[in-house]
Amino acid sequence: VQINDPAVVAEVTLASDVYERALIDNDVEALMGFFWDSAQALRIGVAEELYGSEPINEFRRKRTVSFTDRKTLGRHVVAFGADMAIVTIEFSVVAFGNPRHGRQSQVWVKLGDAGWRVVSAHVSHRVTPQNSAAFSTNANDGAAFAAAASAILRAPIDPAHLGGVAFNVGLMSNIAAPLMEIELPETVEPAARFIP
Amino acid sequence: VSADLVSLSAQEIAAGVRARRFAATQVAEAFLARIEVLNPKINAYTLVTSERALREAARVDAVIAAGEDPGPLAGAPYAVKNLFDLEGEVTVAGSKINRDNPPAAQDATAVTRLANAGAICLGATNMGEYAYDFVTINAHDGATRNPHDLTRSAGGSSGGSGAAVAAGLATFALGTDTNGSVRVPSSFCGVWGLKPTYACLSRAGVFPFVDALDTVGTLARSVSDLTRTFDAMAGPDARDPNCGRVSSPLTDTEIDAGVRGVRVAALEGYFARGRTTELSAALAAVAGVLGSNSTVELPRPDVARSAAFLITAAEAGELHRERLVRRAADFDPASRDRFIAGLLAPAAWYLKAQRFRAWWKGEVARIFETVDVLIAPATPMSAPGLDEQTFEFDGATLPLRANVGLFTQPITLVGLPVVAAPIHQPGRMPTAVQLIGRPGSELTLLRVARELERQGVCSAPLALGS
Repeated sequence: VQINDPAVVAEVTLASDVYERALIDNDVEALMGFFWDSAQALRIGVAEELYGSEPINEFRRKRTVSFTDRKTLGRHVVAFGADMAIVTIEFSVVAFGNPRHGRQSQVWVKLGDAGWRVVSAHVSHRVTPQNSAAFSTNANDGAAFAAAASAILRAPIDPAHLGGVAFNVGLMSNIAAPLMEIELPETVEPAARFIP
Repeated sequence: VSADLVSLSAQEIAAGVRARRFAATQVAEAFLARIEVLNPKINAYTLVTSERALREAARVDAVIAAGEDPGPLAGAPYAVKNLFDLEGEVTVAGSKINRDNPPAAQDATAVTRLANAGAICLGATNMGEYAYDFVTINAHDGATRNPHDLTRSAGGSSGGSGAAVAAGLATFALGTDTNGSVRVPSSFCGVWGLKPTYACLSRAGVFPFVDALDTVGTLARSVSDLTRTFDAMAGPDARDPNCGRVSSPLTDTEIDAGVRGVRVAALEGYFARGRTTELSAALAAVAGVLGSNSTVELPRPDVARSAAFLITAAEAGELHRERLVRRAADFDPASRDRFIAGLLAPAAWYLKAQRFRAWWKGEVARIFETVDVLIAPATPMSAPGLDEQTFEFDGATLPLRANVGLFTQPITLVGLPVVAAPIHQPGRMPTAVQLIGRPGSELTLLRVARELERQGVCSAPLALGS
């Protein structure tokens, strides 16, 4: 098998460029077209595992993100023969005010008339003490908590806002942790100022 | 004459008006003209109350013509953060939603008292939406630009007030401080800031954010103006049962009494983290003038910050519940999700934070048995660019907006009074040092501030020329 035929590398690089542009614009229609239209397509994200093009498309439609400041830090393309390539990208992005160093691996396959399509993708972020809040179980727990609490409190949350709310719930949880660990004498009452 | 008038302090203007060197109306006109020219550049004001200003000025001039006393702030033009009620105007509090509210029926108590002292209200200033902000980048009214560098933030949430004072669009301005919203713009804009003791100034007619922490405060270009305006606003108010702390009148003579016998110590540990060379230089200069080389550590200031954060989130979330449920899409996206998350905060977090607050109050009181004034940086950085989202701190890249209040937030928890003292270093953006005192010690703090001003270490020069 020929590795890195310049013509193939050029085709895949172009396709990757267009994909990255659509991602920054959050052009949902375009993004949906890039993936293999098959139940066997898959996309493993930072906080989701999606098997099949339908769940992937559903995820795209519901997601509200701003990747306008996403910057590609480096891209590595390896083409195997005329119709298969691996694209690996490192990127920086600020999500919910948090700087992130992201990694993205994609398997691209040239599918006849459909042209180059992503058949499998994996996204992760480098976890540091500063950003761990966004990736710990807090992120998922935060989403579950926010959904349940909003129902219990009868304060409905627009699904479009749930991601940001979940992030902030996770952040609050991390901020609350050292406070909840502090041992105070039982005689210490809350500093209320109500005086009847 | 007009060009000179806008560079004067409130005290100098009051003296000139009372001595009939110039009329209050002339002063108001000079400031309104400067606002017309400069406000489009910095976006400090969201509302200019020209008619009101000219009416109040004419009244001061009439009182003087009648040979009566127009008050200690006669003719001094000022601005208010747009969460203070101004009679006949809608109190927007930086939001879109509040624009549907009816106009305020009466002035906020602070505004009434300033009017009684002869001050002239020029209008209302930009702020972060509902005060949940440290940068005054407002989705509805745009960002306020720092008069010392128009590409940078003025700080928040009282950013419009800080910028107005720094640019000479007001002699002083009212703000509110919950987690640092007076002290942060004071630092970024390089002007004096006073966050008085909690419950010391009336909050009647001030749109709330966090009942447990909100404090009315002032930004100005001189210590004397901080003193006079505080004096004019202080005292119990039947409209605000929470405002009960009585303070005795402060005079220039007392403020000028010097710092002999005042025990000063720098806060170390948490407050020394990530210190830049410019902050180190600023703190060293302040400590040097005050003849202090002692240091002290507060117990668990990190947890104090957590507690303030959680009390803020829970109270603000509940306060805005109806708006968050019905009109979430009309919120500034930068604050909306934080407000909603706060609405969901468990009671255990809030109550533990309030119990910690009670405990910490005792710990802090013990520190103040041997020290009168604590010094610490106001912000971990000087004014960032308006598009910056991160900053370098202690070798790490941190989210900016979430960490601007790192050094102001713990102090807020126990309601201590703070003077933010501005420092301007050549070729650098200004910054400020917090002078922190025990509850009710505004006089001591203002005396220390005055000494720093007199020695030339701290100052608040006018930006954008006169």
